[in-house]
Amino acid sequence: MLEPFQLPFVQRALIELLLLAVLAGTLGCWIVLRGLAFATHGAAAAAFPGLVLADGLGFAAALGGFGAALLFALTVGGLSAATGDPRAAAEQREGHDARTALVLVAALAIGVVLASDVFHSAASVESLLFGSLLAIGPADVRLAAAAAVVAAIASALLGTRWLATGFDPAAARTLGIRSHLPDALLLTLVAFGAVATLSAVGALLATALLVVPAATTRLLSNRIPRWQLATTALAAAEGTAGIWLAVQLNAPPGATIAVIAGTAFAATALGKAAT
Amino acid sequence: MTADPRGGVRGAAADSADRAGGREDARAPGEDPGCARPERTGPARQLLRAQGIAVAYPSGQPVLQDVTFELTAGERIAVLGPNGGGKTTLFRALLGELRPAAGTLELPARCASVPQTERSRLDYPVSALDVVLMGTLPNRAWWRRPSRADRAAAQAALARVALTEHADDTYGELSGGQRQRVLIARALVQNTQVLLLDEPFSGLDTASATRLEALLQTLAGEGRGILMATHDLEQARGWDRVLCLNGSQIAFGVPAPTLTHDVLAATYGGAIVTLPDPDGTAPHQAILPPHHHHHDHAPG
Repeated sequence: MLEPFQLPFVQRALIELLLLAVLAGTLGCWIVLRGLAFATHGAAAAAFPGLVLADGLGFAAALGGFGAALLFALTVGGLSAATGDPRAAAEQREGHDARTALVLVAALAIGVVLASDVFHSAASVESLLFGSLLAIGPADVRLAAAAAVVAAIASALLGTRWLATGFDPAAARTLGIRSHLPDALLLTLVAFGAVATLSAVGALLATALLVVPAATTRLLSNRIPRWQLATTALAAAEGTAGIWLAVQLNAPPGATIAVIAGTAFAATALGKAAT
Repeated sequence: MTADPRGGVRGAAADSADRAGGREDARAPGEDPGCARPERTGPARQLLRAQGIAVAYPSGQPVLQDVTFELTAGERIAVLGPNGGGKTTLFRALLGELRPAAGTLELPARCASVPQTERSRLDYPVSALDVVLMGTLPNRAWWRRPSRADRAAAQAALARVALTEHADDTYGELSGGQRQRVLIARALVQNTQVLLLDEPFSGLDTASATRLEALLQTLAGEGRGILMATHDLEQARGWDRVLCLNGSQIAFGVPAPTLTHDVLAATYGGAIVTLPDPDGTAPHQAILPPHHHHHDHAPG
């Protein structure tokens, strides 16, 4: 039953997923708490044309993806919660959501056009959009490890500030938290994290790792550290189960993990509603 | 909760020999790292003084003008006025968020705000202690974690508002009065001498309100100055002074002679309700401001 895990490429995929589970646990909780789920999806989608461009022009793929995602995160996906008045923040969030949606569509369209008509690399479009977990290379694993470590360190150092700004933005300002740097770093991390998940689950399924597990455990946790640990454990379990099932059924692994994560969320939400 | 001879709160920290209590006992009673006691020597110290200030938002006409008042150590001032009358604007100026467009504002002491608890996210996964720890953020560089001293200060501040045993409870699951006291602890941990409270009594039951009133009295007794925005005239009459605002300053002074029918009419734009007074002995008790929230509690 466990023989899929004896294959080297499955083992590498598993290591990648376990590293991404740490990222999902540490960064994912902040994404959910600060309402950045849609921005995360947008950042991952924005990375897609960047990757195509990098591939076509022959520079490091991660660099192209990260550049595009970062540009998106810091301009369009900006944290509305960073501003003071909650009503203004709500209005601003609506504006951000609309812009995020527009850029998301544009990014996908530009990426597809670049891939099919400019660089004629249409074959890689599918793996960029949905990931290629069973064809993971050492560079992908290193990127996932770096993202996990950076997210864990940033979360430990800046967590209190991210928490205070989201908890009560107006009071955060009167507390003297006027620097936007911690929030800008959070957005940078979101872009970095989105790019790190691309090779595993692709631009369209990045949220299956970065948002869905944290949203699931949010229903059951009432403290940040416990929530992060539970999310890491859940994401690792979902990833392991997904990769095993994908090999057994010969199904695309990214999509399989997304289905398992979605099912786990639905079951947890239903279970909570029933109690 | 009783006051010890030096005026410090002897609350939960003293009753239960817990972490914060143990630490406090190692120091002079009532003294803690987070809440340095203001000196109380000689004549009452002036904590803030506004001389004819006008406050405007960056784009627009002043929303508040001609405000002249002072706050001395140990004093409690109730700030009255209609919604939009300038109470919040005044607080934002005192916190340094808005710069006065005219007049002079002397602020030798640091102000800390205690917002309404509904403005914070009640669904956030934070404990009471986590919320108080947010008050230590200005003390350190933005990349630093809370230190052991920060945690000790937060615990001590929670002890002062008698919430030591609720330190690990989820903030959103505390009662309204307890949440308000957590936010007061967050202000205390900032080493502040002036507390700005925004309608702290709204929505509190009688027991919580009585307890909060006693806490504010104790904090003032230690030499802090307290400004409270309120719609509750009856409560304001029990405080040291009242400041009536309606776009500009209507009146400032000791409640009894200040809160006349004319002043209240000007403060609330004439929209006050004068109830028939059965005895004819205390006409002021028959006046209600239009936004009076009816939460019957014992005035202090």
